[in-house]
Amino acid sequence: MWKNVYEWLDERLGLNDLYKNLLDRPEPKGNWWNTLGSAALFLFILQGVTGIFLTVYYTPSPDHAYDSINYIMNGVAFGWLIRGIHHWGATLMVVVVFIHMLRVFVTASFKYPRELTWLIGIGLFLVTLGMGFTGYLLPWNQQSYWATTVGTQIAGSVPFIGDFILKVLRGGSDLSALTLQRFFSAHIWMLPAALAGLIGVHLYLIIKHGESNFPSKED
Amino acid sequence: MDNETKQKINKRYERELNRGERFWPDSIFKDLIVSLGIFVLLIMLATFIGVDAQPRVDPSDTTYIPRPEWYFLFLFKFLAIYGQIPVLGKIEWLATVAVPGLVILVLALMPFIDRNPNRYYGKRVLPISVMAIIVVDIVMLTIMADVPTVTENGSMLPGILQAIAGMVIPLVAIILLFLMTFVFRKTSTKTMIWTAAISAILTIGLTGGVLAWFPVPATTETAVATTLVDQISAGQDLYSVNCVECHGDDGKVTKIEGVKGLEGKLIPAINSTDVLYTLDDATLAEVIAYGRPEAGMTPFGKAYGGQLSTSDIENIVTFMRYTWDDRFEAPKLKPLYPPLAAGEVPSYDVHIAPIVKRYCLSCHQAGKQNNNYLMDTYDDILKTGDQAPNVTAGDENSTLLKVIEGTPIPDPKDPTQTLIRAMPPNGHMSPDIINVFKLWIMNGMPQTAEDAAKLSVTPTPGAGSTGTPATTPTP
Repeated sequence: MWKNVYEWLDERLGLNDLYKNLLDRPEPKGNWWNTLGSAALFLFILQGVTGIFLTVYYTPSPDHAYDSINYIMNGVAFGWLIRGIHHWGATLMVVVVFIHMLRVFVTASFKYPRELTWLIGIGLFLVTLGMGFTGYLLPWNQQSYWATTVGTQIAGSVPFIGDFILKVLRGGSDLSALTLQRFFSAHIWMLPAALAGLIGVHLYLIIKHGESNFPSKED
Repeated sequence: MDNETKQKINKRYERELNRGERFWPDSIFKDLIVSLGIFVLLIMLATFIGVDAQPRVDPSDTTYIPRPEWYFLFLFKFLAIYGQIPVLGKIEWLATVAVPGLVILVLALMPFIDRNPNRYYGKRVLPISVMAIIVVDIVMLTIMADVPTVTENGSMLPGILQAIAGMVIPLVAIILLFLMTFVFRKTSTKTMIWTAAISAILTIGLTGGVLAWFPVPATTETAVATTLVDQISAGQDLYSVNCVECHGDDGKVTKIEGVKGLEGKLIPAINSTDVLYTLDDATLAEVIAYGRPEAGMTPFGKAYGGQLSTSDIENIVTFMRYTWDDRFEAPKLKPLYPPLAAGEVPSYDVHIAPIVKRYCLSCHQAGKQNNNYLMDTYDDILKTGDQAPNVTAGDENSTLLKVIEGTPIPDPKDPTQTLIRAMPPNGHMSPDIINVFKLWIMNGMPQTAEDAAKLSVTPTPGAGSTGTPATTPTP
């Protein structure tokens, strides 16, 4: 019975091919440092899941953002856990992505034939920092408000186009409801979409070229 | 890279694959263990450390010191250090855009810059040493991010030391490493590693020194009321300090009495449905923030020169709603101070401070008519006042105790006149509170809970505990 179901599905989905091409691949002898990439992926998924749950109650408006987070922390069952994981997950994700990058740098895994994987990885690192920066404003408390004021100011110090960048980021010359709205939009749509796309290419390249081996004197 | 090298690399990888493992289950197994560990760690962090509550946004509060997410702190510190450089420090975009942009560009183009096909560390001393120096620098900049560059008395020393640790040493070391590789050429690997190591040790040591010699200024952690109960209590405390003088502790005053400059002024009772039904929360908050200049009410919001933040005002409004508005049902509030067990000695921190805040501080703060008796801190309660000391440890006839018991103090020169009225002026303290004060004064007025605990007597069961606390005053 189960065999029939599996065969029916396999005929249509190509499960055997998937298994052969994705899972049953040879890899160089493993190393614990090589798990950091998948750990970053896991954190991305975890951030996505907890983030989706948070949007159920979170309201991106200056009048309600603070209270909605307060409600998540005190009123919603296990809201504190979801937000706690999202908060600390952000920190951990930056750490894990950074150490992952250091590992790739030290083992020179970015060299032929994995140059593109590295380039996309740098993009992933920057977008991750962007996620941290935009997410920091969303609780709309003193800390986030003033940190974003200074952060956008720094972005506005670019010569010639700085003023334009500042206005694009803030949606005007000052921090306002518009800033919160566009940081929210960037945090839950634009940056995650970019992140997911880049992760897709990153993963394809890893499967294509395989994990790099840990360099020995021969390399 | 020529085809021959590429083939060599591919062949070598092929060999590694043959003596390697399977992606499933070998590699995935390790990945799952690490991910599971991270998940458990996150749950622990969320449960045991949690997320700090922060005060509500207050754009008018320009005294707030901005602090970015911790992983941007090193950039913040870098900017602060850079800003001290004469002339160059004024060109802000060099540090905010040019340097970080260049670093990221170099990092991104690493595969095209580092064209040496070797992957073994021994053959890549330069890139690894430079990266190590940068990483140590980033960590150290993060660690010393909270130390200001200028001390309170204007000394530039901490800034200069930070610049040496966070900028000069790493930069010199990196330049040296490049010179060794491209100019001197014959430098041994050992020398390069030593250069990197010494620069890292110097950076770490100097950072330690900066942290040891220049303490991080203490930031005042304000407790943020997040639950309704806490918000109401916080609001009541704020109301007691800021509003009671004119509006009375129950908000029903319609004619101000005993306030200089506003004597006899007629005001609406703020606990009435007239006020509470017609003004919504936002309007009430607005009135508190902006005041009613035509009615003599000064602005209380920070934006208009007062003392209260938006969070504070919000809490006062919450307190008013849940206390006087009959459409709202107040939750069960916490007691003002934890009830005393038999033999327990009250302390300033736990018992006296909240009582004083609720009943006394409104008038006994700077700038009010109060015979210069200030009650905002432990030391002030003990030492200030025209008739100081108003409290003496172990003295049952302390002025403070007498007046809250309802006995005015007569003027020693003219016994028919009262020098100090019974306190509080409109109303009287509950016997419970008077008892707390009495126990506190008679037991030596301990400040902290630990001090009080030392003085407390635990009633021994069976020994006929009478509940009388130790009455031996400690001088």
